[in-house]
Amino acid sequence: MQTTLDAYDTPAPDHIRSHPKHWRNRKAGHHWRTHDEEFDGSKLGMWLFLTTEVLLFAGIFCGYAVFRLLYPEAWANGSHYLDWRFGAANTVVLLISSWTVANAVRCAQLNNQKWLKINLIITLICAALFVFIKLKFEYIPKLADGKAPGTFFNYPMAQDPHEPLWWSLYYVGTGIHALHVLIGATLLGWVLYRSWRYQAYGPTEYTMVENSALYWHLVDLVWIFLFPLLYLIH
Amino acid sequence: MSYTLAEQSWLSKFIFRAAPASDSAAWSDGLFMMIFWFSTFFFVLLMVLMVYWTVKYRRRPGVPAPVSPHHNTPLEIIWTVVPSSALLVIFILGFQGYLSKTVAPTGALELRVSAWKWGWAITYPNGAQSPETKFLEESADGTVVGNKYPIFYVPENTAVSLRMSSQDVIHAFWIPDFRTKMDVYPNRFTGYTFHTPTLGLEEEVFDETVGQNIPGRDMWVFCAEYCGDEHSRMAATIRVVPQFIYEQKLAEWNAPKDPVELGKQIHEGRCAICHSVNGTPGTGPTWKDLYGSQGLMSDGSTVLKDDNYIRESIYIPAAKIVAGYAGNMPSFQGQLDETQLDGIIAYMKTLSQHAPQPAGSDTGAEPATESTESQPNETTGGGQS
Amino acid sequence: MSTIDATHTGPHGHHEGSYLDGPAGFWSRIAQWAVTVDHKKIGVMYLFAVLFMFFLGGVAALAVRLELLDPVRDVVQPDGTSVTTGYILQSIFGATDGVSGNEIYNRAFTLHGAIMVFMFIVPSIPASLGNFFLPIMLGAKDVAFPRLNLLSWYIYVFGSIFGVLSILMGGVDTGWTFYTPYSLTTDADHWRVVLMVLAAFILGFSSILTGMNFIVTVHKLRAPGMGWFDMPLFIWAIYATSIIQVLATPVIGITLLLLIFERIFRIGIFDPAMGGDPVLYQHFFWFYSHPVVYVMILPAMGIISELLAVHCRKHIFGYRAIAFSSLGIAAVSFLVWGHHMFTAMGELAAMLFSALTFLVAIPTAIKVFNWIATLYKGSIALNTPMLYTLAFLFLFSIGGLTGLPLGALATDLHLHDSYFVVAHFHYVMMGGTVIAFVGGIHHWWPKMFGRMYNEKVGMLGCVIVFIGFNVTFFTQFILGTQGMPRRYANYVDEFQLLHQISTVGSWLLLVGFLVHLFNFIHSLLAGPKAPPNPWGGLTLEWETESPPIEHNFHHEPIVKHGPYDFDTVVPPHCDPKDFPLPDKA
Ligand code: HEA
Ligand code: HEA
Ligand code: HEC
Ligand code: CUA
Ligand SMILES: [Cu+2]
Repeated sequence: MQTTLDAYDTPAPDHIRSHPKHWRNRKAGHHWRTHDEEFDGSKLGMWLFLTTEVLLFAGIFCGYAVFRLLYPEAWANGSHYLDWRFGAANTVVLLISSWTVANAVRCAQLNNQKWLKINLIITLICAALFVFIKLKFEYIPKLADGKAPGTFFNYPMAQDPHEPLWWSLYYVGTGIHALHVLIGATLLGWVLYRSWRYQAYGPTEYTMVENSALYWHLVDLVWIFLFPLLYLIH
Repeated sequence: MSYTLAEQSWLSKFIFRAAPASDSAAWSDGLFMMIFWFSTFFFVLLMVLMVYWTVKYRRRPGVPAPVSPHHNTPLEIIWTVVPSSALLVIFILGFQGYLSKTVAPTGALELRVSAWKWGWAITYPNGAQSPETKFLEESADGTVVGNKYPIFYVPENTAVSLRMSSQDVIHAFWIPDFRTKMDVYPNRFTGYTFHTPTLGLEEEVFDETVGQNIPGRDMWVFCAEYCGDEHSRMAATIRVVPQFIYEQKLAEWNAPKDPVELGKQIHEGRCAICHSVNGTPGTGPTWKDLYGSQGLMSDGSTVLKDDNYIRESIYIPAAKIVAGYAGNMPSFQGQLDETQLDGIIAYMKTLSQHAPQPAGSDTGAEPATESTESQPNETTGGGQS
Repeated sequence: MSTIDATHTGPHGHHEGSYLDGPAGFWSRIAQWAVTVDHKKIGVMYLFAVLFMFFLGGVAALAVRLELLDPVRDVVQPDGTSVTTGYILQSIFGATDGVSGNEIYNRAFTLHGAIMVFMFIVPSIPASLGNFFLPIMLGAKDVAFPRLNLLSWYIYVFGSIFGVLSILMGGVDTGWTFYTPYSLTTDADHWRVVLMVLAAFILGFSSILTGMNFIVTVHKLRAPGMGWFDMPLFIWAIYATSIIQVLATPVIGITLLLLIFERIFRIGIFDPAMGGDPVLYQHFFWFYSHPVVYVMILPAMGIISELLAVHCRKHIFGYRAIAFSSLGIAAVSFLVWGHHMFTAMGELAAMLFSALTFLVAIPTAIKVFNWIATLYKGSIALNTPMLYTLAFLFLFSIGGLTGLPLGALATDLHLHDSYFVVAHFHYVMMGGTVIAFVGGIHHWWPKMFGRMYNEKVGMLGCVIVFIGFNVTFFTQFILGTQGMPRRYANYVDEFQLLHQISTVGSWLLLVGFLVHLFNFIHSLLAGPKAPPNPWGGLTLEWETESPPIEHNFHHEPIVKHGPYDFDTVVPPHCDPKDFPLPDKA
């Protein structure tokens, strides 16, 4: 499953090429029989971890469903307050970033060091854009209106006594998601740093790129669920 | 549907202490005993084999374990299928019994149960509430310790259905004799049903209000969902009495009463768990010398504790919190009406030296006479274990 | 599954020492252990940590029992005056002004439950014995992700520190279940409830990471020649446990997180006063906390399978049935959580959950039948591990069977939240898991520390624990059916005798565990050196030295026979005279 294409190999300076962290010099952990098995193991571990993340968000989705059944009015009102255009913009941003991060993996496999970095940078820009839109056009104006969660709710025009609950779920759901965006960006930033510094990833060593990308896809996936539930279904 | 106390076998007495008080309680005891014998059968069988084989095949140096099969598929199937079918039967019976405890027959007497930290009240169909109380804990030498708990009267041989809600946290209304309980929630109604037994000829209980025995049977009520400090003292008594006594009681409770007497009863039934009348601090401040005094609040202000303040304290306790206390008094809004409130205030006046005493001054119950009853048990039960 | 010459070269062939060897000097040793990625060292650190937590939880349990000596709150001091047990507890936990005896009691049982569940029993077997033996039994050099393993140990320590901090700040009185809305309103002006919930939240991560690590290890690091059905049953059990850990823990994670938000920001999701739903909280909580009871019991069952086979010198009966029933339990365990809430739900849901509850009892019954059948025609050695195995079969059967009246709807309405439930779960958790754990510690003690313990003292301890346990908890079944609610600091007089018997039993338990403690300390200091294979086991850990060398094996083992082929294989390092084979195989 690993390509050995060195078509795009850009010869690295010597001090990087001989660095133990350079992808060619990377060895399997002492308890693994082969490098391949280590790679498979890491990926299995990552998938398990992603399962736990999905289940974590499943809790929030359950809460959403229960209260939607209990207080349909409040839920309809709540999602009316949100502007779907910002949600849609962020969806597009995340979809683009998912695409670039997938490209980054491909580049690592092909040893295309330059585009690996470029793709990662675009992904990180998207992440920043996402957080920016979220804060600037959603959180900050909403909070200023008094559309805050739970007891902090102070929006005089509210039509349903249970709207504070809607905002609780909105902030918890999107807040935890935003936290995941930040964690994912940190991981990708780390990958970027290491490939800049050591060319740490290449055709035989891209576990970290692949796993971070998987994580990023998860972040994207969760948003794909959050977006229609919060913004579109009235 | 009438159910009288059956002769209890020694085993049932050992296991359940009190005889089941209704058909469905007897039914669920029967199911319990069935599970018990089912389990005992398997348990004894397995343990006998275990001990027998352990002794028989104990290790002897130099003697190997004989060869025997590693598995046996027919055997596996048998010991999967046989218990499974027995479990299916247990499940079905369990569900049947559950329905008989939860689905009330039409025309059942509906009682409204309300719960708060930490007490129970039942509102009867005619709007009356029971003011009667009794001690649950009595030490061996006859001196009474602990709190008084409310007595709820129910008529014999009647289907009763409970409609329950809580004012604060979750509680659970458990009557062990009826073998059933249900959680009580702050934001919804829950309930269950039971059919009260027909009293035996010689069953009697002591009625404090008339000072003599009346036909009846007392049963415990416990709070079975953890609800805080006094969870273990959130008890009550269910008293099954003949229909005519029940009706008499209800009429009596609805009749107008001397306010001080009314206030005292409400205190014992609902407030004593937190408020003493003899100066001992409890979860809430004592009522001794409360009325008419000046007091410090947690926000630093001082208030005069007059009628209005007390009214507010009872209906909206969170409005002003007494310094040094947590604001965990439940609101009694909708629980206590104006007459009852007046009664409480009248009773408080008798406890306070700041209050103008009535001319005759013999209504003023001396706090001292209360002290044996309401003293927290720390100081009395020295003789125990 | 013998190996070709795993230790052929003998202890001196390679110059690799025991994992316990280290640099000279106390501090450099500490430093070496603190950053170790060796699964054995991490396992040993976990072992001591969880035993310490067991001790802490035990102290809280003794305090709980002490309070319950008396229906109200009086005990008589030696000088004849009477003080309340509340005050005794107060002096144990540190007096706090304005706290009633009842509240102290409530804190005591909450701490007991929370420590025992989150800090002791969930990590207990998997993180200690599992960490130590899972890679060795698979023939691997380490777990799949050694650094993650170390991280999960530190997360455990970190989480426990939060828990202990909360205790030092005065403790929590919510019950280990943290039911809302009570847990939202109690001690509203303090951080200790948040700290305790945070502790449970953090500990969850440790549990998830350990589980992931083990799953990958089992999939990827089995020795050559070891197929899935050549794995020891202990591995199967840990594998099933890990699946539950990975799938259930995130849900408690989000639940506890919401609870924390709820307390800090008052977001209202679980708060009925704000339209929230306390029953939703219960569903979330039990969606984790029911499966987690099988996280507690499955590894114990794994231990029992090993101990039985080795000390009976007998192929385990129905290997596949036991292996598959572990997976079956793991699968069904996710469907029955509602049986903790029969008094809080509608008829349809109650019916469904009751039916599923009975379903989960069946795979367990299969296991018990197979274990008993294993004894048949064995060569049964009566030593401490075997005694513990028998005690497990006795106690766990009672505990499991008393789950049946709890699962049946009509009877549960009576028994719910009574001492019957308390007795049930102590019979399964203490009589099941703890008993198997202590048995397992004895079984693997020589391997882990290279020293034998004293067999007579071990058996004495076992007998005392067994008697003490039954005295303590059997009485509680009767208390429960008679109408004694749980979490009660005071109770009506009728229950006093049974409570007193129970309290005396808890003192016996203390004595029993102290005997073991003494035995272990004595063994560490002065025990005779252990041979590599004292019991004649066939699983891979007995191939290597006692204690194992740094990298577990001198050569990678190649598996040639099953873990329980006692009738065809002479155990490694053993004299055929002591472990003869039957005439015909
Ligand atoms: C190690 C932990 C553990 C284990 C393994 C179990 C196992 C089981 N538990 Fe238990 N349980 C708890 C820990 C555990 N439990 C805890 C901690 C609580 C309370 C939590 C709280 O409220 O604080 C609880 C509470 C609890 C309740 C809720 C009670 C209530 O609050 O109202 C119920 C109800 O159904 C229940 C049922 C069962 C059943 C059916 C099993 C089954 O899996 C048991 C299966 C075992 C057997 C059946 C016995 C062995 C088999 C034989 C001897 C062969 C013969 C058997 C047959 C033919 C059937 N348990
Ligand atoms: C693993 C789980 C576990 C274990 C082992 C125990 C062990 C014990 N528990 Fe339990 N208990 C719970 C889990 C556990 N408990 C839970 C979850 C609750 C519910 C809490 C709630 O309601 O919120 C509970 C509640 C509970 C109650 C009910 C309180 C109430 O509802 O009011 C009682 C009362 O008797 C009790 C008693 C005991 C006793 C006497 C022991 C004894 O067995 C303890 C014996 C141990 C010792 C005395 C320590 C000795 C140890 C050493 C000396 C260390 C050395 C050890 C070795 C070397 C091996 N416990
Ligand atoms: C859960 C325990 C609890 C119960 C039950 C309870 N109270 Fe209170 N009460 C308190 C606490 C705590 C305070 C002090 C904090 C505050 O002011 O809210 C208090 C304060 C008061 C005060 C003000 C006292 C003062 O010193 O200013 C009055 C009056 C009062 N309660 C009346 C009642 C009445 C009447 C009842 C019963 C119908 C009752 N309480 C039941 C806990 C309780
Ligand atoms: Cu009310 Cu417990
Ligand atoms: Cu359960």
